[in-house]
Amino acid sequence: MKRFLKRLPNRLWVLLCLIVLFAFFANDFGLVDIQKTAIVLAAGIDRTPEGFTLTAQIAVPKGTDRTTGGTSGVEIGGQGENISDCLSDLYAKTGWVPKLVFCDLLVLGEGAVREDVFDGLDYFLRNEYIPDSCLLAACEGSAAELLSSESAIDDTSALALGKLFSDAATKSGQVMTTTLREFAIGYFNESRSGYMPYVRMQQQEKGAQKEAQASGGAQNKQGGQSGQDGAQKIYSARETALFSEGRLAALLSPEETLAFSLLKGNVYAGTFTTDGRSYVILKNKGSVDVGTRDVPDIRLYAGCKVQLCGERETASPERLARGELSEQEEAHVSEVLTQYAKRLWDTCAAADCDFLFFRRSLRRASPALYGTWKDVPLSSVPADIVVRAESLR
Amino acid sequence: MTITPRQICFFLAGIAPVGKLILLPANLAATCGNDLLLPVLAHVLVQSVLVFCVLLLGRRERTLCTLLRDACGKTAARIAACLLAAFLLFAAFVPVIEQKLLVRSTFYDTIPAYLVFTPFFLFAAYICARPLPTLGRLWDILAPLALTGMAGIALFSAGSADLGALAPAGAAGAGGFLKGVQTACAWFFDAALLLCLIGRFPYRKGLALGGALCSLAGGGVLLLLLALFYGVFPGIAVIQTPAFSRMSGFFAGMTVLGRIDYFFIFAVAFAMTFHAALPVQCAVGLLTEAFGNKKYLAPALSVLFSALMLSAVYLVHFHTSAAVRTVTETLFWIFPLFTVLVPLLALLVFGRRHETLS
Amino acid sequence: METKEITGRAQEDAAALKALLPAQDILTFSFADGKGREYVCIFADALTDKDLLSEQALRPLSCYAGAADADAVARAALSPEVRAEASYEKLAAEVLAGNPVLVWEGADKGLALGTKKIAVRAVAEPPTDVAIKGPREGFVEDIKTNTSLIRRRLKTGELMIEMLPVGRRSQTNVALCWLDGTCRADIVDALRKKLSAIDIDALPDASYLTRFLTDKPYSLVKQTGTTEKPDIFCAKLAEGRAGILTDGSPIALTLPYLLAEDFQSGEDYFVPAARATFTRLLRLFALLVAVYLPAFYVAAQLFKLRLLPVKLLLTIAGSIRDIPLSPSLEMLLVLLVLEVLNEASIRMPKYVGMALSVVGALVLGETAVSAGFVSTPAIIIVAFSGIGLYAVPNLIEETSVLRLFMLLAAGSVGPYGIMLVSAFVLVSLVTTENYGVPLCAPFAPFSARDMKDALVKFNLLSLKERPRALNSPNKRRMK
Repeated sequence: MKRFLKRLPNRLWVLLCLIVLFAFFANDFGLVDIQKTAIVLAAGIDRTPEGFTLTAQIAVPKGTDRTTGGTSGVEIGGQGENISDCLSDLYAKTGWVPKLVFCDLLVLGEGAVREDVFDGLDYFLRNEYIPDSCLLAACEGSAAELLSSESAIDDTSALALGKLFSDAATKSGQVMTTTLREFAIGYFNESRSGYMPYVRMQQQEKGAQKEAQASGGAQNKQGGQSGQDGAQKIYSARETALFSEGRLAALLSPEETLAFSLLKGNVYAGTFTTDGRSYVILKNKGSVDVGTRDVPDIRLYAGCKVQLCGERETASPERLARGELSEQEEAHVSEVLTQYAKRLWDTCAAADCDFLFFRRSLRRASPALYGTWKDVPLSSVPADIVVRAESLR
Repeated sequence: MTITPRQICFFLAGIAPVGKLILLPANLAATCGNDLLLPVLAHVLVQSVLVFCVLLLGRRERTLCTLLRDACGKTAARIAACLLAAFLLFAAFVPVIEQKLLVRSTFYDTIPAYLVFTPFFLFAAYICARPLPTLGRLWDILAPLALTGMAGIALFSAGSADLGALAPAGAAGAGGFLKGVQTACAWFFDAALLLCLIGRFPYRKGLALGGALCSLAGGGVLLLLLALFYGVFPGIAVIQTPAFSRMSGFFAGMTVLGRIDYFFIFAVAFAMTFHAALPVQCAVGLLTEAFGNKKYLAPALSVLFSALMLSAVYLVHFHTSAAVRTVTETLFWIFPLFTVLVPLLALLVFGRRHETLS
Repeated sequence: METKEITGRAQEDAAALKALLPAQDILTFSFADGKGREYVCIFADALTDKDLLSEQALRPLSCYAGAADADAVARAALSPEVRAEASYEKLAAEVLAGNPVLVWEGADKGLALGTKKIAVRAVAEPPTDVAIKGPREGFVEDIKTNTSLIRRRLKTGELMIEMLPVGRRSQTNVALCWLDGTCRADIVDALRKKLSAIDIDALPDASYLTRFLTDKPYSLVKQTGTTEKPDIFCAKLAEGRAGILTDGSPIALTLPYLLAEDFQSGEDYFVPAARATFTRLLRLFALLVAVYLPAFYVAAQLFKLRLLPVKLLLTIAGSIRDIPLSPSLEMLLVLLVLEVLNEASIRMPKYVGMALSVVGALVLGETAVSAGFVSTPAIIIVAFSGIGLYAVPNLIEETSVLRLFMLLAAGSVGPYGIMLVSAFVLVSLVTTENYGVPLCAPFAPFSARDMKDALVKFNLLSLKERPRALNSPNKRRMK
């Protein structure tokens, strides 16, 4: 017995080594390795009468050769009653396991946003392997069409859209991006509202198309349903789709989107034009506060430092050098931006879409007032809106 | 090899918080919403007082078994050790289940075969066979690692956290608070673990107070991470498990560098692996001493207990949520019994220094 | 066993010794002194300096006409190193050690003369421990030369060198060195005890000793420090360690060993502290990368793609598309090829080594990639890992095995496997102690004071005390 016990550790050690070696060489405990995986870069969700269509843009690496390097994509659609069903359909069609860990963009088609988008997004939220940091966008037409379109500026539409939703684009005030996490938080909080950029697709003009091709974009597109009409596309996301209770409630115009960005304090080096003059916003801070005296009110404030950066008429060198705004100009710019913000609030109130999170802020500030005011339409909430533009001196 | 007072402090400040970062945040968010910090604060305060008491008992510089043996005789000491060991095995269930969940969702991209978690029990059997003072040296390495990991996670998640989500305080009411306290019971048994270590470290003046302060500091770290967690996921916190590995994924720099937060997540997960085996290790240490430090007892017990845990985990494989609910909601009362009552009782009975040595 | 002793009859004694040493290279030579007494000299042909023997012993003794007792004869011989022994066995051992033995008519004891001549390699810079700044001397195979190198650096009476013969047949001289009052006495006693207890046929190299001197001889982790440089050896003695020199080996052992030692180099003390800290951290980083990179690369491909940034992942996916092997087997294959190349390049003659490099790097690497056997990233990863391993050359044996373990764990269980193996290694490391000194000190147990010269290197002037972990009786080394 003693001899047995003395030798036991060594025997166990050998056994363990054998098991590890077996596991190593067998290498098949239901794992889905890189060679069996379809790396989904973006997914599009469309509603169909039967349920959903999920279009996955799958990355197809081209190898490491420098002359042919890059990534092309192939779009494959799956149908089903829900998103999980669609993914099973995708798997059945391709034999690749669609892996959504790299899915950084979810596009919702026109049909999908008319009903509660969380019917589709729910799957992505509950799946522990899908990052909640993926960006959301709504689009004109179907998501499948958007993802299958041939981009004029990049190898795949997902990469092109990724550029459109980059940090730099967000700071320009032209686009308001949101992630699945942010959208879900808005959807599940007291305001039950959210927003996402609204993408429109335009056909690229011939001249520009040639230019884009010369600079190396999208010449290697292959496979899938890409470019059905053979024309390359460019995308615009200057409008913002507003959602209430998960349904599309309104669209913000580019000016309202800019105002929204200013209220969020996002803008840096963004430009806007009014009366033939363009201004660059060099510093911005914004806030959305709730007043809780007797009657709650909402206070929208944005402050920004601006500089003149373009005019329709030729200016003198002195004026070009200074780029300063006179007091009247400052007042005028402030007035224009305040009007944008007012239009933004009007849209918000008209659709009763609380994407500025008035109700959530009210609950945080005063649960008692929230109890009274939670069902009051936003149009009844007094709003104090100020956007102050100051010239850089 | 002995444990030093510094190592005890390292455990309380750096290791104790890591065991509470997987299921607890989401469970608390489910029971008391934005008030999730209050039950944890209550537990942290109670644990700090208990840590103070247990460390005060450490002044005697005799192990729990020796104290029991001297006071009540060999048989009674063995029975008491068995009871405490049984509690520790029971308390180990949630950390081991948490470890399994952590492995599944943090270390894999798709649901792995459930065999992949089995090697943990091999490790548990290995580490539990080691003498308890080994822990001290491990904590010297693991505490800085865990604190670095938690700091990194906090730093990465701070930018996307909306701490305003914690308002209004008290929204869950007294009912929510009590429910939260009840839910959190299963995660706060540090004093019981410490009870197994008394007599294995030299008592220095001020250790009890220092230990209590370190416990508070560890609690502070936990509260900070919980606040950040709820700030990152207000409203959807309930579905975020394991909490700590999900909250740092929104850092802007990651678009370029990839998931660099995994360095910190893995550091915390590494410390968690040891923390998950800790109750079983304490149980083995306690029983080995109670039954006379026989040569093959520790390895045999560690293999037996690890096999038990393995069976328990795979037995409830398809009923994991129900099993965790049973422990945290139905059998929660066992925790204060052993974590609060036993240390206080021990201090009351053995706390006096002027007794005759048997 | 009965010990036979000198009879005083020269021919009979010489015959008895010759019977003990029947080999053909043991020669005998007879001559007579001034009184006509017969002397027989027995010596090992290749080990004896015959000129010196003739100069120091034979010439003076041929004119000697004094008493026949060993003391008187020893005084007559002009050799500074003379030992008188009565036992045949001891005299035979002296002959084998290269010391000629004299027996003569009327002798009460035989004389062993210290005129051995052993081919000794010149003191040169050791190839395993090259320093750009700092001393370039290295130990050689001759223990006497090595002790002289140490004695030259530590001119103190506290330096103790105790010679112990080890090996039943080889009778190899092993020198136990320590600084009295600086090294703990219990360490010296324990080492002396362990060295005396070694029962082995022969001791070809110092590495044989390492297994006998540790409490965990089967451990994967080394538990003795090694160096080929006398300056480092002396510095370690001065810190409170004991050292062991082995005749026939240029490798000196130092005990107790701390893992942090191998992240330090002699040069760290000759460059600014900031630079030394940087290089130490770099070594640690290189080692971690070397051990973990291949494993994580495999684990990422098999189990956790999210470990890689998407663009890198797509590059990898592109390059492995047509590879017939699974990622784990591919990595194992490339790693094994690297190990084979490494092994072959060390053992091969230098001029063939160049050709081997070309075959290894170009033919195997380039062609294997273009033939689609392995992918480019796998080769880059293994190359990086291979280079990283050499940043801490003293730990290569351990880390290369560990790298393989990590790879096996990664290929079978994934990232969790890597973590568990790391946990096993950590437990094993922190529980290892040698002579009461924890292997992982000053990290576990943590010692803030010793951290001044662990991974971070403080200025020399602030290193006033010896490492606490060694628990030297003499704590201060600088005022």
